[in-house]
Order: sequence, then structure tokens, then C-alpha cells
Amino acid sequence: MRMAVVVTVMMKELRDLFRDKRTVRIALVMGPLFMPLLMLGIITMSEKRVNTQLEKPLDLPVVGSQYAPNLVKWLAGQNVNVLAAPADPDGEIRSQHRDVILSIGKDYPEDWHKGIPARVEIVEDSSRRDAEIPVERLERLLKTYSTTVGSLRLLARGVSPSVATAVRIAHRDLATPESKRGLALSFLPYLLILSSFLGGAHLVIDATAGERERQSLEPLLATPASREAIMSGKIAGACVFGLLALMLTLAAFKISFQLFPQSGTKLDVSIVTMLKLLLVLAPVVLLGTTLLTLIAASAKSVKEAQSYMSLLMLMPLVPTILLLVNPIKDQVWMFAVPFLAQNQLIMKLLRLEIVTAQEWAIYLAGGFGLGILLWLAAARLYHREKLAISA
Amino acid sequence: MIEVRNVHKSFTSKSGRVIAVDDVSFTARDGEITGLLGPNGAGKTTTLRMLYTLMKPETGSVSVDGFDAVRDAEAVRRRLGVLPDARGVYKRLTARENIEYFGRLHQMDEGAIASRIVLLSRALDMNDFLDRPTEGFSQGQRTKTAIARALVHDPRNVVLDEPTNGLDVMTTRSMRQFLEGLRTEGRCVIFSSHIMQEIAALCDRIVVIAKGRVVAQGTADDLRAQTGEDNLENAFVKVIGSDEGLHS
Repeated sequence: MRMAVVVTVMMKELRDLFRDKRTVRIALVMGPLFMPLLMLGIITMSEKRVNTQLEKPLDLPVVGSQYAPNLVKWLAGQNVNVLAAPADPDGEIRSQHRDVILSIGKDYPEDWHKGIPARVEIVEDSSRRDAEIPVERLERLLKTYSTTVGSLRLLARGVSPSVATAVRIAHRDLATPESKRGLALSFLPYLLILSSFLGGAHLVIDATAGERERQSLEPLLATPASREAIMSGKIAGACVFGLLALMLTLAAFKISFQLFPQSGTKLDVSIVTMLKLLLVLAPVVLLGTTLLTLIAASAKSVKEAQSYMSLLMLMPLVPTILLLVNPIKDQVWMFAVPFLAQNQLIMKLLRLEIVTAQEWAIYLAGGFGLGILLWLAAARLYHREKLAISA
Repeated sequence: MIEVRNVHKSFTSKSGRVIAVDDVSFTARDGEITGLLGPNGAGKTTTLRMLYTLMKPETGSVSVDGFDAVRDAEAVRRRLGVLPDARGVYKRLTARENIEYFGRLHQMDEGAIASRIVLLSRALDMNDFLDRPTEGFSQGQRTKTAIARALVHDPRNVVLDEPTNGLDVMTTRSMRQFLEGLRTEGRCVIFSSHIMQEIAALCDRIVVIAKGRVVAQGTADDLRAQTGEDNLENAFVKVIGSDEGLHS
């Protein structure tokens, strides 16, 4: 295999691609621009929701407020906007008109006077995620009220309230501010991995399956250039393009997170981290292009090759979902598993955690090793007689 | 010189094994135009594909200037200029860039490529469209680009699969002159066609293929003598067994 031929093929593929201005614009401008905007939008939205739900007065319809005037009065002093009871409380929750409703039973005054825990009911729909914060707020307020009144009762009987507290629980949160921010960005790795995995997809499919469909692969294979060299040139061209798209995406991320620091996610976007991210994602580019070359060389048409795309788009999602369902802590073997490794590494880098030399070594060996294996497999497929023939 | 010896090739299709080429042998000499004539689907393209190493013959052998097409595939491709049945050009590149690309794949230096382009462009009358992107080219302009691309490395042996397919009368005429020029330069030219008149007008030797087999070969006079027919067309019909696919 001659390097000069590989370079010739690569340069031709890139020149051919860059003449197709519309495709280039979509791949290099839309992608990198759209992703950071989407990310920032989602982050800003979620923070805004949390803040407004935490800080604005809690609208709380109370059923049976006449049974517990003191509680209601206390609640009103705690940034709660007590509203009159609706006619059908359950219906209000079901129809999502209200996030949460407090219901006080008519036994409340009697139990209160007897000193039996008086019953109040929080009416909620626990499957509604946007109601989580109001429900939690109400519950915390009720607990505070209960403890306060309970302590006063004990004091009135000459008993220290601390007697009733056998264990005092305190949290010592070791999460660094950076790692807390990382939490909000659990889908960032997926977006980055996906864009590097399939960033050059159209170029790759076009370069093999498309070239055959346009009847130009047969003359190409009739030149003295070896099939490996032709294929390698095409893969190299797609890798260059994929890396370019990736660099632009990372640059866009860096700039947008620096422009909007108030989005609270002061992630580590230093040049060094961005370069490390590039190193983490480079094997994914190789993996994507070789895998797609393999598919495009074995598929009968461009259409067939493209129909694999929806499946491929799900592949990087698998580890993200697995980790969401079954969170496990970092283990060394994870750095050899494609997609899972990138996921872990990106999070580590953004959270400013240290990646050990061993983890880097396993990761890079695993990532590039698999890429080279796929490359060899694609080279074998490129030798099939059927490859060149479109009819 | 190109020698094809007893080559076989079959494919598996849904309906079973299809024999595409069955024991084909012929020799194409330098300074001659050898015509492969046969109806559509006779096995011409498959035979040529084995010749330019895109496919391997199951049995038999192909040699180009003494190099074996299976063992020395690269050396064979170096000595061949090929216009395949599939002749797509890159539509976002200009005709010149298309030709340059192939010159580089032949590892020619830029100066040699440029001077070959001047030569080929004159011979094929391509100056008007040489620097235009090939998108929107007429069939004739595309074919000329594909032929220039195939001959950029100045090969001794030239293989053209149906070069006049889809060309108008004027372009076909100039193509004929171009092929005659190649013969005068002493090259070995093979070209295939399903059009009898074309083969008769150009070829020194004719190989008639039908249903994957060589049914007759020789000069036009040989064929007339073999069949006892004065008219060449009748001679062809006789050897092929039907007049199917022999007209343009």
C-alpha cells in the first residue's frame, strides 16, 4: 500500500466534498452551532424552572382549612399562597390544574387536642416530574411545623426536645461544585459521542456506496492503486472531516459556555480540557468511519447503507441508558468498552477529576485497536468482486 | 498484447448458477483493433472485467504483455487503459481534475499529467469543456472525459467496453478516428460492441461471443468464408443463431 495513493484519494474526497457547499454547511456550521444552543437552552430552562419553583410563592389549595387555622396561618407565613378549596381536589390534580393540594381531615382538631398525631393529606401525582418540587416543598414545611410544635409540647411538659431525637442526621456532601454541575450535563457525552461517531457518516456512505451507485467505483478499481489504499484514503478523508466537525463543535461549546457563564454550569472549558476531549473522541471518529465503510461496502445501495443509521444512532445511547438505570462506579474495564469509556472519560474531564495514565492507556489502546480491527475487516470486504459492480 | 485463455466465470443468482463466460479464448495483437461482438448479455462485459482484474476467472488465464492478471494484477492494470461499462465521472470536479486524479493514482508526476492532458484534449476535442465541472455534461462529453482519464498514463493496451454507447453520429465518427489513431500508434486495442456496423468498420479482427462462448473469430473475410455468406450481417446472424440485439 503506497502512502502517496492514500493521500491522493483522501485529498480528492475532501475536495469533492467541499465543493458540495450545502452539505458542508449543514455538517460544519449547523451541527456545531445547533448543539451548544440546544444544551444551553435545556440547562437554562431547567435552572429557571427549579429557581422559580423553589422561590416563588407556592400556590396551595387547602381542603378543610377551617379545621387547622393555626397550621394554615403558619403556612401563609412561609411563602405559601393559601387558596380556597376546589370543588373536586382529586380531579384538579388529575387534570394537572394544580401541582399539589393539602387536605385536612375533620378529625384534625380532636386529635390535635388529644395529642395524637393529627392527619393531613398531600394530594399529588407522583408520576408528574414538574410537580416534584412543590410537593417536596410542602412536605418539608409540614415536617418543620410538626417538629416545631412537637418540641414546644415537650418543653411545655418540662422535657428537653432533644430527648425525642435519638439520632441526629447530618450530610457531609463531598461533591465538588464542578461535579454537581456535571450532573446537569449527563447527556452532554451522548451528544459529543454521537456527533463524532456519525459526523462524517454521509461522506463515508457517499464515498463507497454512493461512488458505486454513480458508476465511478469500477474505473477507480481499474487503476493500479490497490483496493486497501483506495479504501484507506476514503476512511482518512472521512476522519479528517469528522475531526474538523468535532473541533468546531468543541470550539462552539467553549465559546458559548464562556459567553453565558450565568447558566451556572461553569464547566472546565479550558484549552487543555478541550484538547483532552478531542483525544477522547478521536477514536470514536475512527470507529464510526470504519464501521460505516464496512456497512457501505457490504450494502447493495446508498439507501440500504443509510437505513443502518437509525440503529447506529442508538449505539452510543446504550451506556448512557445503562448508567442511568444502573449506576456503577468507575472501574478499569470500563475504559476498554466503546461508548461507555468515552462517556466516563468525558464526565471525568468536565468534572475536573483525574484520569490516570493507566486509564488513558487502556482507553486509547482499546479505542484505536477496535478501529484498526474494523479497518482490516473493511479492507477484506473491499476485495470482494461484488463491491465494484452496481448492476 | 492481450491473451485470454479458456476463461470461465459463473455467478449464483436466485434461479441457480448462471454461466456468464464459458471457455472464452482469443488474442489481441499490438497495432490491431480487436472487436468483441455479441448481443446484450452475451458475456462481453464479464470477459473484459476479468481482463482488467476486477474479477478473477474461475479457470483459465488472462495475460497482458506477459503479466498474469491474477498473480500480477497491479502490473496488468498499469499496462491497461480501461473504459469500463460503468463510466461515472465525479460531477463536482472539472474534466481536467477528473483526469488529474487518475494520473496521480497512476503515480505520474504533475508535469507529465499536464502534458498528457494537452495531448488527449486535442485528440478528443475536449478544449471547450475541459475546465468545466462535469455536472451537466452531455453523454459524449462524459464519455470523452472517461476515455481521457483511462488513457492518461499512456498505456500500451486499451480496453473499451461499448465506447460508442449513447453517442450521437458526429461523436461516434470522431471516436472512430480516435481509435484508429491508437492503432496507428501501435497500441493493442480491444473494444466491445453489440453493433455490427461499428465492429465491421473498425476492427482488424473480430471475436463473436454469444451465450458466454466464442462462436467465431477472425477477420471479416474469415467470417464470410466460414459461413459462406457474402454479406457480413448475414454471417453474424448465422454464427450467433439469431439476429437478436445486433442492431443499434
